[in-house]
Amino acid sequence: MTQALVLGRRALLEAWRTPEALVPTLFIPLFFLVVNVGQAGKIFPSQSTEFLHGQGYGAFQLPSSLLLAGSFGTAALFLVEDIEGGYFDKLRATPIPRTAIVLGRLIAELAKGVLIAVAVTVLGLIFGITIASGVLGFVLLVLLTALWSVVFVGFMQLIALKTRSAAATNSGGLIFFPLLFLTPNFVPRDMLTRPMEIAATINPVTYVMESLRSLILVDLDWRHIWPGFLVVAVLGAIMLALNVRIIKRYD
Amino acid sequence: MDDGIAVSAEELVKHYKSRAGVIEAVRGVDLRVESGEVFGFLGPNGAGKSTTVRMLTTLLSITSGSAHVGGVDVARDPDAARRMMGVALQEAGLDPRQTGRELLVLQGRLFGMSQHAAAERTDELLALVELEDAADRRIKGYSGGMKRRLDLASALVHEPQILFLDEPTTGLDPASRLTVWDEVRRINGRGTTVFLTTQYLEEADQLCDRLAIIDGGRIVREGTPDQLKAELRERLGLTADPTLDDVFLDATGRTRSREEGDVQEVTA
Repeated sequence: MTQALVLGRRALLEAWRTPEALVPTLFIPLFFLVVNVGQAGKIFPSQSTEFLHGQGYGAFQLPSSLLLAGSFGTAALFLVEDIEGGYFDKLRATPIPRTAIVLGRLIAELAKGVLIAVAVTVLGLIFGITIASGVLGFVLLVLLTALWSVVFVGFMQLIALKTRSAAATNSGGLIFFPLLFLTPNFVPRDMLTRPMEIAATINPVTYVMESLRSLILVDLDWRHIWPGFLVVAVLGAIMLALNVRIIKRYD
Repeated sequence: MDDGIAVSAEELVKHYKSRAGVIEAVRGVDLRVESGEVFGFLGPNGAGKSTTVRMLTTLLSITSGSAHVGGVDVARDPDAARRMMGVALQEAGLDPRQTGRELLVLQGRLFGMSQHAAAERTDELLALVELEDAADRRIKGYSGGMKRRLDLASALVHEPQILFLDEPTTGLDPASRLTVWDEVRRINGRGTTVFLTTQYLEEADQLCDRLAIIDGGRIVREGTPDQLKAELRERLGLTADPTLDDVFLDATGRTRSREEGDVQEVTA
């Protein structure tokens, strides 16, 4: 575990020293938040829209921005740089468990995910969004977003380790966009058309989004909160297992 | 290390599967490198040099055969083998965003040192490769020669018994190349066995106690540079001493024909 933490620290330093890679992670989710609220805010006035629970439409949209912020997977692109530059082999030539190499990056992603989620949420608070579930809800909101970013980076790392190509890894990241739009992104699930509702119900991202939304709009409602955490736990375990498997077989 | 043998390989084979079929990159390599020597591993591009080194350094799986480093079977106990060896691969494997000092400390930590011990070892190594002044600068600003020296230092963090250097001077200017040669001599002078692959025959002639030439995935010559030259002179009945270039061209089935100043390389 020590080696994973040492490598995690190095991955955080890498992110800190590449601010140009962090800026889009904050800017693009906030851009979508502003644009979506600007386009649909008048359709859903807070006083007469039941699903907003008295808040503005920005509060309903914040989970989409949080998920988007957690779905950049830049750590996987740094991994490709390590592979292409030979540093990955340098790490593989040390007597550390192979799992430490992937775990280090995932630990760093968790820490980075926490910081990004805090930044996006605090900006939301400044613009009048409130977290109805209070301080505990805020912590859960940040934790769930950060765990989602770990899942997503785990997925991106799989592509990076398999293809060893920055282009392929970058393209792999685009898979999130259809998943984000096959969710109750603009309205609750029961207001979607039947085919979209079925698609959203199958899509695991929906449950993460609904958990986040529940934490923002209503007090701690565990019926809506636990499915999101279950999704990240299951997907996280799958990604970790696949990452470990692929790095152990890496030639 | 058993019987003074630092590195050994027996019938080492590596096959890759590709769309075109199975590629036989290494076809049964036998090697014995003695403790304390500088062993040169030469061959033309695609001969199997790097593939062999990657198998010996646990970075590539072995299709068949076996390899031992410091008496440890690299396939059966790769972590023990990794503690025995330092590895500097063809492209200096460095993280450009770290400083030289950070990289060496991290390397020490990965070999199980405490933060304090890793920091002390880092100071020693920075002095050894004369990078103290650049230690706290980010690696992306280093010259090619500085990167090579730092890569060498990082391979030495855990004081390995055997150092693998895969084409350590490729792409360096002549001055940087001479500096790396000096480092290799100094490291070997401290008792470290050096396994060196190179495409530069002059480099092999200058540095290596013994060498092997690989071609088409098989060892085609092995001996000291003087032995190999003497063997060629005797076999071809030459009146003058051949160079290592001549040995190499003869061993790899290539000849040079010189006509009116032209140098033409043709495959025999």
